Amino acid sequence: MKPAAFAYLAPHDLDEALDQLAEHGADARVLAGGQSLVRLMNARLASPAVVVDINRVGGLDALSLVNGSGPARLRLGATVRQRTSELSPEVAAHAPLLAEAGAHVAHAPVRSRGTVVGSVAFADPSAELPTALLALDGRVVARSRSGERTIEADDFFTGPFTTSLAPGELVVAVEVPVTAAGTGTAFVEVSRRHGDLPVCGVAATVTRGDDGSVAATRIALCGAGERPVRARAAEDALTGSDGGADAVAAAAARAADGLSPIADCHGSADFRRHLARVLTGRALRTAIHRAAGEADNA
Amino acid sequence: MSTVEDRPTTATTGSPRKNGTERRWIGRSVPRKEDPKLLAGRATYVGDVTLPGMLHGAVLGSPHAHARIVSIDTSAAEAIPGVKAVLTGAQAAELVNPMPAFCAEPVPQTAIAIERVRYPGEAVAIVAATDRYIAEDACAAIRVEYEVLPAVVDPEAAMAPDATRIHETLDSNVAFHRVLDFGDVEGDLARAHTVVRTRARWHRMCASPMETAGAVASWNPFDKSMTVYSNSNFHNFLPWAFAGMLGVSTNRMRMIPCAVGGSFGSKHFITKVLAIAGALTKATGKPVQYLEDRVDNIAANDNVGCDRIYDAELALAEDGEMLGLTLKIVDDYGAYFQFAHGQHGNAMAQPTGPYRIGSLRYDVSCVLTNKVQQGFFRGAGADPGNFVLERLVDKASEVMGIDRAEIRRRNFIAPEQFPFKTPSGNVYDSGDYAAVLDRALELAGIDDWRAEQERLRAEGRYLGIGLATCQERTGYNASEWWFLYDNPPLPATSTPESVKMDVDAMGGVRVEVGCPLWGNSPETVVSQVVAEEFGIDPNDVSVTYADSTTGAMSAGPGGSRLTIMLSGATRGAARTIRDKMIRIAAHAMEIDPDDVECVDGTFRAKGVPGASMSMADIGMRAHLFFHSTPEDESSGLVAVHTYDHPYSTPPSADRTDMGAFYPMVSHACHIPIVEVDAETGVVTLRAYYAVNDCGTVMNPTLVEGQIVGGIVQGIGAALMEEYRYGEDGALDTPTFREYLMPSMHEVPEIVVEHLETPSPFTEYGVKGAGEGGRLVAPTAIASAVDDALKPFGVWVDELPMTPERVVDLVAGAHEGRP
Ligand SMILES: Cc1cc2nc3c(=O)[nH]c(=O)nc-3n(C[C@H](O)[C@H](O)[C@H](O)COP(=O)(O)OP(=O)(O)OC[C@H]3O[C@@H](n4cnc5c(N)ncnc54)[C@H](O)[C@@H]3O)c2cc1C
Repeated sequence: MKPAAFAYLAPHDLDEALDQLAEHGADARVLAGGQSLVRLMNARLASPAVVVDINRVGGLDALSLVNGSGPARLRLGATVRQRTSELSPEVAAHAPLLAEAGAHVAHAPVRSRGTVVGSVAFADPSAELPTALLALDGRVVARSRSGERTIEADDFFTGPFTTSLAPGELVVAVEVPVTAAGTGTAFVEVSRRHGDLPVCGVAATVTRGDDGSVAATRIALCGAGERPVRARAAEDALTGSDGGADAVAAAAARAADGLSPIADCHGSADFRRHLARVLTGRALRTAIHRAAGEADNA
Repeated sequence: MSTVEDRPTTATTGSPRKNGTERRWIGRSVPRKEDPKLLAGRATYVGDVTLPGMLHGAVLGSPHAHARIVSIDTSAAEAIPGVKAVLTGAQAAELVNPMPAFCAEPVPQTAIAIERVRYPGEAVAIVAATDRYIAEDACAAIRVEYEVLPAVVDPEAAMAPDATRIHETLDSNVAFHRVLDFGDVEGDLARAHTVVRTRARWHRMCASPMETAGAVASWNPFDKSMTVYSNSNFHNFLPWAFAGMLGVSTNRMRMIPCAVGGSFGSKHFITKVLAIAGALTKATGKPVQYLEDRVDNIAANDNVGCDRIYDAELALAEDGEMLGLTLKIVDDYGAYFQFAHGQHGNAMAQPTGPYRIGSLRYDVSCVLTNKVQQGFFRGAGADPGNFVLERLVDKASEVMGIDRAEIRRRNFIAPEQFPFKTPSGNVYDSGDYAAVLDRALELAGIDDWRAEQERLRAEGRYLGIGLATCQERTGYNASEWWFLYDNPPLPATSTPESVKMDVDAMGGVRVEVGCPLWGNSPETVVSQVVAEEFGIDPNDVSVTYADSTTGAMSAGPGGSRLTIMLSGATRGAARTIRDKMIRIAAHAMEIDPDDVECVDGTFRAKGVPGASMSMADIGMRAHLFFHSTPEDESSGLVAVHTYDHPYSTPPSADRTDMGAFYPMVSHACHIPIVEVDAETGVVTLRAYYAVNDCGTVMNPTLVEGQIVGGIVQGIGAALMEEYRYGEDGALDTPTFREYLMPSMHEVPEIVVEHLETPSPFTEYGVKGAGEGGRLVAPTAIASAVDDALKPFGVWVDELPMTPERVVDLVAGAHEGRP
């Protein structure tokens, strides 16, 4: 369990980092928290010739509210730790789903090193944070020597551990729209043990209209496909409904429509479909409850 | 029987009991002497050993479950700077011999495969290099061409006559099959009122010690001697077997024990790591360290636990009296058979549990497949036996409408029936099983939990209360390895344990033990016994570990024997030295030895307070004043004491009676409380109660550690731990991301209490306590899950109870599946 030899670069500013990534292209890997990359390297599942450690790059650790054109957004820089996000009052106030999902990631020591962006860039199909980003209709801000672009979460995840990021590109931040009043969110999962990647997890956001009906729903699943996936049939079933028990049950029943889950030693594809339905029901019930502004244990 | 008082939970202070004699140190929670060095990182493990010029080994494992090795090209690996040797199986075979085995069948095994690989991860080539990084670079550079063969994964399919053969030297993959009847099995089945049956599945697990198996071997080409540092347990038991494998004469082989970072039974023999380090040191002339990494250990530890399919039946009379038990077992041994069917010899110690079951049929098939082989893991073969028996008892309770505590009580061996001979011949020394059960029910507060269960059910939640009452056979004798054979290759009958004790000229007591520090507490136990015998402080006793050249024969920890055996050996040595000191003191004080007593570390004339000699007084006299000691006394105060098995009898020639081979029998009742999410299948432990009787409790804190640790492993067995192989034979659980063990988050508060029925066979009445937790918890938790899901009518007959299996059980019950 020893990595192959590699060159280690530790740039101090963004331009230097982007230059190095441009120079080494596909031979380079970004090192953020290292909580996934180092394991892969030790197992020689990844043997990058060059590792670019971005932890010393100034300015990447900002967690801030961005009020530009359009709705306000919460922005998390590339070295914002998962633990920082989880405990942040801004995240609690403006994107509680990120905190709720984040608390399920590993254990506190791992989260104190691991970054939110690193988890998103890693694109583990079972991971919580990419799924939360998808449910929140978030986006990824990528930069390279040729400029910056924004990639919607819906387009970012392309397969297991693969994204639409090009060689030479660095994710500088992820952004999520602020969760407004009238919108409730919830994250639930089944994992084999506390802190393990989930067998299946569900992130849900539900927005209620003025008349109390469901105006908008986004449901994202992890552990249910080759990448974080939306349960669109369930979203459609719930949107426009009264959000009552029957509507939730009807939506949950459709949560596994069109899924082709992976199977591994923690669960077969059928079991994951089953969990997708059960957990979607649970997540929707909680999200609807929260959308109405009710306390969790009311 | 006496109760250890004042222990509402796992109390850490014991009080001396008053069973017969007043004891000062035995029975107290003396702080563990091993702890400071372990906690401060000052113990020397294999990984800490550094010798001048030492190289580091690494292993290239097979990616295939079953394949013919067509060719191996090591040239690129050899060209890497820092690489000192690359050996294929054939090259290594010129330096070291095949691994010794206990089996009679021709199942040869070499540490590095030759021509054919038989399980995923089996070593194909080994490397020595100046550091481990380079060694692994070299492994990655070795090119092996394989011709993939069909993998044999399903043990029942493996039994078919036309199944792909794992070993051409055998006629079939069924390496061993035997049916043994004890008592009138057919008669009991015929006269039974009710026969309950189960088809149960117990999957393979591994011990997962924190430290993996490893060795540092150093070959001296000039005097042809070999020095090996390792975490093996058998350095003072079978050093000659290691010497034979390494091609060294037995009197030029020196094995030095290192501190061991856990074993749980998995490091008794570990011949493979010794062979790998041994071949590499012979090839290079330099010391070589080889320590498995986690991936090596999981895939190729050679010591996984049982992997059994049971078809079992329990015959009962109308009133619930248990008459007979039949066990038809298919056991998947994997690709090799190094320990033969020792795990079934072990299980034979207590197949009928704490019950008066009159007859037993034991039908065992040991089947070879393309998996890593079995060895020993805490429970050692008796673990699935307890699981199946207790499941049958619960089923009988359910079917016959007899309360599950009551049916057990009706069948328990009564206190006055000891020593009790079981149908298969093993003898149980003592016990009071009903008292343990009653105390456990009381401790758990069953009525409160029943009320809580009812309350939660009204909310659609499923709480379950488990119950299991099990044996823990402790203190094995070697016959268990071979008595299933009519013509065993090595019908050994010894399992000795030795210490060498001396009192120096200043009165200091030093004890050298033959066993290694394997994660248990030999230093503490020895010190307590010395303290008891001399009346000195256990902190004043120095304990060290003997290497294989001192002749301190030791079978070491295993089969929950070490406290029994070490207390016997230490007491024996202490008595020899104390008697000599009494004679010397008597001579000096000019009184009769019978009038001298040893109290608080002084030797004094009985009834004459003033006349006394200290340990140092006698020590100096014994060492330097030959003319002032009795005429026939030699100088010095040294004793080597070897304690042999305290009570064993050989098996009968016709094997209708296996003899007494595991007669110190502890007992426990566990009551776990679980909550089951019936929709997701997630099982959560809410509370755990255990009442244990391991005879005289030597040290409550140490026993507590054993029981709690064992229960935690039992939780793993119940809910998580399982080797899984794909249809192509690939290991689907190669790392700790797939092979799951409980963490602190999955473990509830565990409340432990002790009752004590001393063993009549051992010194101080101690019995073993090393495996009990894991021998009881899995079946107790299965019982709790059944209880939780009673509204659905589920029946747990397969472990671990993963979320998916639980959901399937609930769905199956809905569909009326049996
Ligand atoms: C014991 C343990 C348990 C875990 N449990 C969970 C769990 O339950 N759920 C879960 O989701 N995860 C879990 N993880 C993984 C953890 O969340 C990782 O931290 C996370 O997946 C990666 O974040 P990182 O900052 O550590 O990234 P790194 O490991 O440094 O990098 C991960 C990958 O992302 C790339 N990368 C990182 N940052 C950037 C960037 N800015 N731009 C471009 N590429 C980038 C790297 O090149 C690499 O390929 C666990 C890890 C451990 C060690």
